[in-house]
Amino acid sequence: MTILAKPGTAPYLAAFRARAAEAEPQWLSEQRDAALARFAALGFPTRREEAWRFTNLRPLESVTFPPAREGAALAPEQAAPWRLAGPAHRLVLVAGRFAPELSEIGPLPEGAWLAPTARTLAERPDLARQAFDETDTSGGQAFTALNAALFADGFVLALEEGVALDRPVEIIHYGQAEAPASLHTRSAVLLGARSRATLVESFAGEGPYWTNAVAVLRLGPQSELRHLRLQDEGADAIHLAAIRATLGRAAQYRSFTLTVGARLSRYDAFVRLDGDKAQCNLDGAYLLRGEREATTATFVDHVAPGGVTRELFKGVVGDRAHGVFLGRIAVRPDAQKSDALQLNRNLLLSPRAAVDTKPELEILADDVKCSHGATVGDLDEAALFYLRARGIPEEEARGMLIEGFVVDALERIEDRAMREHFARHLGRWLAREHR
Amino acid sequence: MLEIKNLHARIAEGREILKGIDLVVGAGEVHAIMGPNGSGKSTLAGVLAGRPGYVVSEGSILYEGRDLTPLTPDERARAGIFLAFQYPVEIPGVNNMYFLRAALNAVRRERGEADLDAGQFLKAVRAKLKLLEIEDDLLKRGVNVGFSGGEKKRNEIFQMAMLEPKLALLDETDSGLDIDALRVVAGGINKLRSPERAIVLITHYQRLLDYVEPDRIHVLSDGRFVMSGDKSLAAELEKHGYAMLGTAA
Repeated sequence: MTILAKPGTAPYLAAFRARAAEAEPQWLSEQRDAALARFAALGFPTRREEAWRFTNLRPLESVTFPPAREGAALAPEQAAPWRLAGPAHRLVLVAGRFAPELSEIGPLPEGAWLAPTARTLAERPDLARQAFDETDTSGGQAFTALNAALFADGFVLALEEGVALDRPVEIIHYGQAEAPASLHTRSAVLLGARSRATLVESFAGEGPYWTNAVAVLRLGPQSELRHLRLQDEGADAIHLAAIRATLGRAAQYRSFTLTVGARLSRYDAFVRLDGDKAQCNLDGAYLLRGEREATTATFVDHVAPGGVTRELFKGVVGDRAHGVFLGRIAVRPDAQKSDALQLNRNLLLSPRAAVDTKPELEILADDVKCSHGATVGDLDEAALFYLRARGIPEEEARGMLIEGFVVDALERIEDRAMREHFARHLGRWLAREHR
Repeated sequence: MLEIKNLHARIAEGREILKGIDLVVGAGEVHAIMGPNGSGKSTLAGVLAGRPGYVVSEGSILYEGRDLTPLTPDERARAGIFLAFQYPVEIPGVNNMYFLRAALNAVRRERGEADLDAGQFLKAVRAKLKLLEIEDDLLKRGVNVGFSGGEKKRNEIFQMAMLEPKLALLDETDSGLDIDALRVVAGGINKLRSPERAIVLITHYQRLLDYVEPDRIHVLSDGRFVMSGDKSLAAELEKHGYAMLGTAA
């Protein structure tokens, strides 16, 4: 096969060819070949592309990150800070591969499936196949394509019609590498009609690794997915994650993302409201210090009528860090009675910190209610003085104000235990305890 | 307690506002500082509390015998100085109770006392709330968020009651209060009068002084004290207005 390869892609093409021939179904091999060709043709995005204008990919391009060949060992206590306090169906991926000794999937109700992607491919190819949906044309396809070509594992959660999971599904992605390595995980959440689940994903790790995680979420009619994400990757890590969600009639997708880690990170959330009256809550916060750079790129596509979107992202950016928010909401001609509210507010903690925010509405229907807003500001000096005038030391007072700034996003998490879990990680960031 | 000598202060990179203030306030005393708008009353309160944006260019401020000027605002507060704000700041997202507990424990630590746990704190709060006729649910909100003008002022005195400062500076605490609220606030202040505590009332009007009787009154005009006297001075000012300063000064 001859493919026209863009600069910088060669090492990844070579790595693909060097992969051990695994016993995989024909369709998968074909998918991988096609995906690789797509990646080679697309190459790494450049800053000339609008969606990547604010993202400096140099750390990713200046070093080659060969795909990790195997999972790594991890002592249970290393993953402990990210574990949920309460009971959960826990699946741990270390360096991109299932770690059975750290996982505790536990008994699942009839009609529920939760397993690593590799095992799902072997035992439930019908489910695994749905994790490959390359039909959307939103940003970041190059990395999604590379992911499809190179992925080793991931997780698949599938619920049949009417099945509700009481306990949350907890996925811990622990990255580990001594030399530069890329970790490509491919995952899927497939919810049948009226099924219900809570999914908590945590990304953490250490070493110079690159996480390239892709998840496909399909929500059937009237199903509900609560999706909580914590990006607390190691200080030397690069984190690229994309979710592709499609919502059926009256389906509810409620997500919250807290970004505190990685030197360079980007979260691409693409949500399509396919069925009537679907609801999408897309909330989160990014807290950045040092020289970290993090992009949150969301695209909510109202295709069907009566869809509701609520989006709130709060950014706190200090030192020389750089936060980027790209929020796009489209309302297609048929999506009458759509109701969308988007807000991005940022707090700059230092004169050298920077924020780029770009909210975007594309409205092609005439009977809709849509609004968006974006702000960037400094810490309120009058409020800081007020707190200090009551004896609260400066550092603590700043922490209180930062927490106060972020708290309304955090309060969008309905479940109390989950809210406390994320509040604890916010507290760790404020106390500079995270890595 | 407080000894101010020849204090000159200006706005950072701006004009001089205080032009030589001398003031001695002893423990147990209540002093009132009166004066027209723009005379420097709030600047004096700000300089004493350490509000950023002012520069002390001359003179000295001694508090319990030590130089106050190098101390940060929070160090001053922990040392026992309390400023009741003319315009209390609204801080959305920071819960009132959480804020007050952080403040109280910071002050207690400085005094060598143990932190109050949630139960002890709540008990202390309940007792003082009654004193100022504050509704419980105000405390569940963000700091001063959605408070009426009167509620904000009562909240200031409530905080003062909780923190038990040695030197309280009350900056126009009476402004914007109706007569009932003024009575409640004044009652709160009077309850806090003690032989160990000094109180400085900064006010434009005499009416607060009808309820909180000062030991001394000082009249500030253009950055200087132009008159000092006992409480009878207030009545005189009330009668003649600040216009009389023209002849006196």
